[in-house]
Amino acid sequence: MRAQELTAAILAPPLAPIGHGDRQLVRHSLTNAIPAVVENLPLGDQVVVTLAILRQIARDPAALSRPEEPFAWKPAFVRRSLGLSAVDACINHRFSSPTEAVGPIADQAVAEWSRTGWRTFHWEPWIAALHPAARSTVMAEAATWATTLWSSIDWHRFDSPLRLGGPDDQWACTAARTVRLRGRSELRVRLEAAHADGAESTALVSVATGIPRTGWETELGFLALVASLRSPSRPVPSRVVGLWPDAGQYRSVDITSGVLTATGDRVIACIGAVVDARMSMVA
Amino acid sequence: MLVMDVERREENGEAERRETPKSKSRVMGSWTPLAGAALLDRLRVTGRPRPLADPDRAALLQETIERGLAPGTAANQGGRRGQSPSSTPLVVTKDRLTRALSPGVHHDAIGLGEQPPTVSMACGALIDVLFRQLVTIGSIGDPMIDGLAALALDDRQTHLIGWIDSLSRTERGALSAEVDRQSTALVNRWPRLDPAWLPRTQLPIRADVAAGAVELSGRVDLAIGRPGLNVASVAIVEVKSGTRRPEHRKDLHFYALIETLRSPAPPFVVATYYTRTGELDVDPVSDELLAAAARRTVAGARALGQVTEAAAPSRLPDQQCGKSAVLPGCRPGRQRVTADMGGYRR
Repeated sequence: MRAQELTAAILAPPLAPIGHGDRQLVRHSLTNAIPAVVENLPLGDQVVVTLAILRQIARDPAALSRPEEPFAWKPAFVRRSLGLSAVDACINHRFSSPTEAVGPIADQAVAEWSRTGWRTFHWEPWIAALHPAARSTVMAEAATWATTLWSSIDWHRFDSPLRLGGPDDQWACTAARTVRLRGRSELRVRLEAAHADGAESTALVSVATGIPRTGWETELGFLALVASLRSPSRPVPSRVVGLWPDAGQYRSVDITSGVLTATGDRVIACIGAVVDARMSMVA
Repeated sequence: MLVMDVERREENGEAERRETPKSKSRVMGSWTPLAGAALLDRLRVTGRPRPLADPDRAALLQETIERGLAPGTAANQGGRRGQSPSSTPLVVTKDRLTRALSPGVHHDAIGLGEQPPTVSMACGALIDVLFRQLVTIGSIGDPMIDGLAALALDDRQTHLIGWIDSLSRTERGALSAEVDRQSTALVNRWPRLDPAWLPRTQLPIRADVAAGAVELSGRVDLAIGRPGLNVASVAIVEVKSGTRRPEHRKDLHFYALIETLRSPAPPFVVATYYTRTGELDVDPVSDELLAAAARRTVAGARALGQVTEAAAPSRLPDQQCGKSAVLPGCRPGRQRVTADMGGYRR
C-alpha cells in the first residue's frame, strides 16, 4: 500500500449526497425494528453496538456467550489515543516522527493530570503509576501504531484542517431498554469537492488490526450510519476508508442509501445476536 | 530514497560515544562482535542492489503459494483470490512452520497451545522486552526488574511470570545473571536509531492467501526504514537470546515473504541479532530467497492443514527426537527422550 494511493482514495471526489428521504427511511427502519428485537431483555438493560462488536459477531459469535472479563488497562488500549496525539503533533511540526513524540506527550499528559486532576485522555492515572520499564512498553506500542499510520498517509495532501480522534459518534434508540450505537473513527477529513448543493462533504478513516474480511463494506458503513443518525442536520459522510496496516491493505466505501440500508440490517441482526447470547446465559 | 542513510554522520558520532574501550575489548577469539555504527553498517550495506517495488513479484509469490496448496485441503478452503474469504483462516506463523517442518515433530507440538516454560524461554521473553525498551527510550535500568515489569503488562505472559516466581533462588539467580549479561551487551553494542528511520518494535505483519483461507502472520521485533517506497527501504531484525539455529534464518525469510506480500517492495535485508554472543546474521533479500520462502511456506501450510483436518499424526516419536529443534515444547518427544535415556542408563 502506497501512501499516495491511500490518500488519493480518501480524497477522491464524493458521489451525490444521500437524499433526506433515504436517510429518514434507514432511521425509521432502525427505530421500528430495535424495540421488538430487545423486548425480551430485562427492563433497563442496555445494548451497546460498536464496530468491534459488529466484527466479533461475524467472526467469533461464541465469544458473546462467554462472561466478560473485567476491564484492565493494557498498552493496546492506550496506543490509539496516545498514537493519534503523536501523529497530530507531527502534522503540526512539533516533532519530526511519532517515536520522538510519544514520550513527551505522555509525560505532558501525566504532568497535567498530576497538576490539575483533569485528564486529557483517560489513561493518565494508570500510566502514572506504572514502573518506568512498563511505561516504555506503553510508549513503544503507541509509537509503533502511530508510526505505521504516519507512514501510510501522505499528510501534505490535506489542505483543510483534519480531526484526529475526537469524541465518538453516538446515537441511542431509547425505549424501555436502551440500544446505543457508538462509532469511532481515527480521522475525519473535509473533502475539497463539496456536494453540488454546497453541503460539506467528509470522509472518515478507520484503522483496524488484522486483515479485511467479508462484510467490510457494512463495517465501514457503520461509522457513516452512526454519524448520520447522531446529527440529522449534518450531511452523511461521503465515504469511509478502512485501513488495515498489519496487512498493508485499505478498502474504501462510498456511502450510498444502499450501503446505509445494508448496514442498518446488519446492526439489527447484531443486536438480535447480542440479545440471544444474553438470554442463553440467563437460561 | 534510502531512509537509513539520513544523517549518517550524526549516527557515527553516536556510535563512537557508545563504543567504549570495554566493549571493544570483548574479543571472542579473533572475532569481535559488531557495535554501534559498524553494526548499523552491516545491516545497511548488503553489497547488493536493493530490490525495486514490483507488483508482479508479489503476484507471482502469491500464485506460487496458492498453486502449491492442494485443493480440497484445510489449507486451501477458500479458493483463489477474488472469491469470498474464509472466516476461519489457517494461521501460519514462523513457529508453527518450523514445528510442522521439523524432522521428528509430532502432532501436538504443531498446535498453538501454550508451551511449558523453560529458562531459555524466560530469558528470551525478558530480552525481547528489554530490547524494545532500549530501542524506545535508549536505556535499561535493572534488567530483571525492568523486564518483569514490562512482561507483566502482557496477559499472555502471566503463566511465564508465575513460573519465574516459582524458581528456586539458585535458578532465578542464574536466569538473572544471564539476562544481566545479555542486556549489558545489548546496551553497549546496539546503536541508537534515529527516529527519522521510523523504528517500529513488535510490528504485526500479516498477509492473506488463497482468498483468506490461509493467513501468514508474524510479529517483527524491529523494522526500520520507510515502507511503501519505490526502492526497498525496510530492514527487519529479530533478536534471539539463545544459540544460533539454522531455522532462525528461515524464520526471517518467512517474514521477508509476508512483508513482500503486504508492501509494494520487499525488505532489503533481514537479520538475526544474537544477544548472547553479539553475532549478526544478515541476509540481503533477493527473488530467490523469497521464492524459497514461498515453497517452504507451502510445505508447512500443507502439513498444518493436515493437522487441522485432524489427520492422524504422520510422525511418531523416534530416536531423532533428541535432535529436534522443538523438543522443549513437544511432550511425546520429551517422553521418548526420557524413555531412551532410561533405557540407556539401564
